[in-house]
Amino acid sequence: MEMSDGLKREVEELIYRDATLLDRRAWDDWIALFTEDAVFWAPAWASEEETTDDPETQLNLLYLRNRGHIEDRIFRIESRDSYASVPLERTVHVIGNVLVDTVNGEEVSAFANALIHSYSRKGGQTRASLYDYVLRQTGDGLRIARKKVTFIDERLEGPVDVYHL
Amino acid sequence: MDGNPIERDFSALVDDRPEERSFRVDRSVYSDPAVYDAEMTCIFESGWVYLCHESQVEKEGDYYATEIGRQPVFVSRQKDGGLKCFINACSHRAAILTPFKRGNARVMTCRFHGWAYNCDGRCVRIKGEDEGFPQDGFDRAQFNLTEVKTVASYRGFVFASLNPGVETLEDYLDAAKTFIDLLVDQSPAGLEVVRGYSTYTIRGNWKMQLENAVDGYHVSTVHRVFAATVGAREARDSSSGMARTEGGRITGKVATGGYDLGRGHMMIWATHTTPEVRPIWGQKERFEKEFPPAKVKWILERGRNLAVFPNVMIMDNPSTQIRKVKPLGPDRFEVTVYCIAPKGEPAEARAARLRKFEDFYLTSGMATSDDVAALEDTYDGGMATTARWNEFGRGYATMIEGPDEDAAAIGCAARTSMRNWDFETLYHGFYRRWRTLMAAGRND
Repeated sequence: MEMSDGLKREVEELIYRDATLLDRRAWDDWIALFTEDAVFWAPAWASEEETTDDPETQLNLLYLRNRGHIEDRIFRIESRDSYASVPLERTVHVIGNVLVDTVNGEEVSAFANALIHSYSRKGGQTRASLYDYVLRQTGDGLRIARKKVTFIDERLEGPVDVYHL
Repeated sequence: MDGNPIERDFSALVDDRPEERSFRVDRSVYSDPAVYDAEMTCIFESGWVYLCHESQVEKEGDYYATEIGRQPVFVSRQKDGGLKCFINACSHRAAILTPFKRGNARVMTCRFHGWAYNCDGRCVRIKGEDEGFPQDGFDRAQFNLTEVKTVASYRGFVFASLNPGVETLEDYLDAAKTFIDLLVDQSPAGLEVVRGYSTYTIRGNWKMQLENAVDGYHVSTVHRVFAATVGAREARDSSSGMARTEGGRITGKVATGGYDLGRGHMMIWATHTTPEVRPIWGQKERFEKEFPPAKVKWILERGRNLAVFPNVMIMDNPSTQIRKVKPLGPDRFEVTVYCIAPKGEPAEARAARLRKFEDFYLTSGMATSDDVAALEDTYDGGMATTARWNEFGRGYATMIEGPDEDAAAIGCAARTSMRNWDFETLYHGFYRRWRTLMAAGRND
């Protein structure tokens, strides 16, 4: 792959699609955006200024190490047996600042920001994330090989699931 | 302790009728602001509270900022290796002294007006001292930090009290010590808090968190989805050994139990169907050489949740956790969770411990998140004061006075024992202690 306007548009569309499918609860289509070996990682905070930086040896909010682990989270939501997931909260992600960073063979890295508004019967709240993506060109098109979420909020109000991040 | 006598008698909020094997608690204990204020005075600011783990303040000048009840404090590691605790407010105009929750400062300089304190609390600099206090005999020592002198560590767990007349920490920890020992004894090199933490708030009352931590009864309903999810995962993938999840204890088909440990402390346990997935399993042979069989069985084969009155829980399951509670009012509390682990454990065991922690123990995980939602619902339901009582009677008929044979086998002086973690008699000790402290504070 080479950096091009076409690639940039493709990257943006995939990142928008990631957020849109989550907000619309199109779980199967959302999961299909990830490669089988995809890593979905949200580090924990380690101080006021730093997150953890080695997911293997330190604590994470979420460290899903393949697409199956992502499917587990959806299995739990769809079971309707998770107290925190019934009723399901509503969310809207607004994505901005999409920036294609580097192209390396079949992979492209990109940054984006998200403002995420969620609503439950306890009320609404708006939180924010920094996204670091690695996207990979596959036979099925561009897919998410790695999504790192730096969840800006540290003191979490209520449960946090994949669709809140 | 604040000089305001608590006028009300809260004793009637605990309906304790042993002769009828009945134990109920008035739901207003979870929501009444007057109860909360009295708890802050009579419990949090009169007795021992947990502050931090020693590994979080390892080197000279390391500090950890926290609270005792409503009052900000910080713990500081001294030159001689000891620990001191101070009110976290500049002697001048009360600005919080610690810029971070945790850090290192051999000299703590107030960022407001520049007054500075050694980590032993001595005031060592006042900006413009000669001009501001030119009088003869001015003694800067009058501005030394206010020390919380009653601070002590039990096997690495640091507690303090604002009450200089409080009993010793060892007396206070009572039979809870047995279960702290079972965790600490696993690691000759000591334990450490792993890097990273999670903090979350719950719209409920702080006592609900302690109740939940030792409530075995909810596990087979609230957490069956956890067992189903990880069960499906393991049926699908090739994880083996420590990477697998101990789900057997969630099904409700294993031997379980629990204890009233005295002074409000409580614990529950459940047998593991797959003890070999515990990160500590690799130490089995060493344990068998060093410890009697009953102790090895307790360490390796039983998951344990310990609630230490009033503000910390120590979990020793396939993963290991310190869960600290900070009340924020009758209707809200903050929880901070840490993974605690043996220093120097093999990388594979550490990774397994962390992954199990993330699976279960976080509000972004697949179990604690469900607990949080359930607690918030019980708080909301508790507003229905026309249905006045919370029921804690299950298991009263089969409750054993004193330690059962499993507790006795490791010298644990449990006050009462229950042979099923679905039972609720362990809470009687918690609420009797609560009632005693709330009444004692009344006469201050």
